[in-house]
Amino acid sequence: MKILIIEDEHALQESIFKYLEHQGFICEAVSDFLQAKDKLARFDYDCIVVDIGLPYGSGLDLVKELKYMESKAGIIIISAKNALEDKLAGLDLGADDYLAKPFYLSELTSRINAIIRRRNFSGSKVITFNEIKLEAEAQLVTVNDKPVVLTDKEYQLLEYFIANRRRLLTKAAIAEHIWGEEYLHVSNFDFIYSQIKNLRKKLLDAGSGDYIKTVYRAGYRFTDQ
Amino acid sequence: MKLLTKTTFYFLITMVPLLAVAGFYLVNQFSKEINYRSDKELVSDEIQWIQYLETAVANGTTFFLKTPELSIFPTDADVDEYATITTTYSYSKTKNEDIPYRQLAQVISISGNHYQIYIRQSQEQKAALESDVKWIMLFVLAGLFAATLIFNWVISKRLWKPFRRSLNKIRSAELQKMEAMHFETTNTEEFNELNASLNYMTGKIYKDYVNMKEFTENAAHEMQTPVAVVLSKLELLLQDNNLKEEQVQSILESVAALQRLSKLNEGLLLLAKIENNQYETTEEISLAEITKKYLHLFNEFIKEKQLTVQTTFTGEFKINLHPILADSLISNLLGNAIKYNYTAGMIEISVSENHFHISNTSLLKPIPSEKLFKRLKNSKESLESSNGLGLAIVKKIAEVKKLGITYHAGNGLHSFDIIREKGRKEQTL
Repeated sequence: MKILIIEDEHALQESIFKYLEHQGFICEAVSDFLQAKDKLARFDYDCIVVDIGLPYGSGLDLVKELKYMESKAGIIIISAKNALEDKLAGLDLGADDYLAKPFYLSELTSRINAIIRRRNFSGSKVITFNEIKLEAEAQLVTVNDKPVVLTDKEYQLLEYFIANRRRLLTKAAIAEHIWGEEYLHVSNFDFIYSQIKNLRKKLLDAGSGDYIKTVYRAGYRFTDQ
Repeated sequence: MKLLTKTTFYFLITMVPLLAVAGFYLVNQFSKEINYRSDKELVSDEIQWIQYLETAVANGTTFFLKTPELSIFPTDADVDEYATITTTYSYSKTKNEDIPYRQLAQVISISGNHYQIYIRQSQEQKAALESDVKWIMLFVLAGLFAATLIFNWVISKRLWKPFRRSLNKIRSAELQKMEAMHFETTNTEEFNELNASLNYMTGKIYKDYVNMKEFTENAAHEMQTPVAVVLSKLELLLQDNNLKEEQVQSILESVAALQRLSKLNEGLLLLAKIENNQYETTEEISLAEITKKYLHLFNEFIKEKQLTVQTTFTGEFKINLHPILADSLISNLLGNAIKYNYTAGMIEISVSENHFHISNTSLLKPIPSEKLFKRLKNSKESLESSNGLGLAIVKKIAEVKKLGITYHAGNGLHSFDIIREKGRKEQTL
């Protein structure tokens, strides 16, 4: 899976690059509009992560360009502007998703995975992790080909875990992914404990390995290592 | 007082005395003229009678004549050098009233005999004429007066039309649409000056507004980017398997603080945007629907805390409110009701056409009024995840939308009430 990261803030670009690379993506990164245009003209990517404010041009124009080229790449806009108008403008131009800064790298990874899966019309839409299989469209989960019944939230949680496998995921990041920013109004994130406990129990009952590891006082890690 | 009423009022207090004086003067002059004419007639009558007398009494006879109009009789009185003309009244049997007469009286001497001459002329016709003239003048002047008032009114209406147009435009002005606003040229110089100034002003306001909007957005932009950098670095750092537990804790605390900073920034930006009226909308939204949506969204938290929620929906509480603000309003209030509740507590919500009520049980002390709705004035007891802006945002939304919001606490129950203030139109500027 090839990803192009277009971000002018070098430190942020590097973080994204490292994290995605670690999750198994092949990444390239550029930091201005002209370099980005050049790359897009010469290579094909599965997904493009683009910032709006760039030197020499706007990320939105790159989105336009991609649509004009009839590119099959998924597009995710990352912007410091959380304004609704910008969000709508980006999505109207044909971007697949819009993520406001600051964001968790785990959230970005999860969204990139979702976009690639949605755009991958010919290929398989099945996510596998050892004996666990997720059929994304039907939201069907099987362990060793035996179906497991999960709630919506548990399914989202599992998908998020697999996208960020082997990474330490903080409770805050998990809570924000599953419940959105709204959870901040309501509670601290201790409540995710019961959701994770249920998911782990269902997977174990179906005969999967114990992949959800609790990292004491920090969060969780989904790993087979 | 209206300008037209004012001009009419001043017109009245100057014109009424002026017309009264003019009318009085005219009638007076007219009356004098008539008297002058009739006096001349009386004098010429007398001259003829004297001439007649001189021939009639030449032979030494005594002349004696007495009619209502004319009396000539001998007298012992001294001769008058001049005739005196006076106005007298005498009773008329036919008319049954006193009738005014103009009377000439003189004692003359003819051939050594003194004669008293009285010549009288009825003033009845003159009085009638005078009265007619008075009435005609009154009608004409009143007519002129009324016509002037009407013309003044019509002309003023026409003249002030461009002013009214400009005024209506200003009234309906909205910050976001000020760019398209134009006060057109009229054929009145003063209004052109006014409209040109208004055009300049709206242009400037719009420019300032755009600048400010850009500034707040840029400020937020500039702040969120470094936060994003730090957050991403911390997240990468967390992946290091060699970290000690305290190190992980330090990183997590930094992440949490950073998130708070970012949310604070977002909250302040939201407040600024509400103040700048950047969330204008023409659509109506039902607070009852939004409440139901959030009850559904927060269902898991409610269940988790084993809260009992009592809802009474008797009306929609439809209001012209941007969806983002409606979400912010309800999620803040409902979120607080859940967050500051205790396990197995209670939440009561009732929504009617003009009233939204939410109350919750809580162990927290009532919010002191000096801290209520104020930015960043969190009580120390509130939870860490609060950014101290929630109620300030709620208050600001209510303010902009002219909703009344009240807080009440007692018996372990905290409640908020939002009331639509009757008869108040929503603010547009």
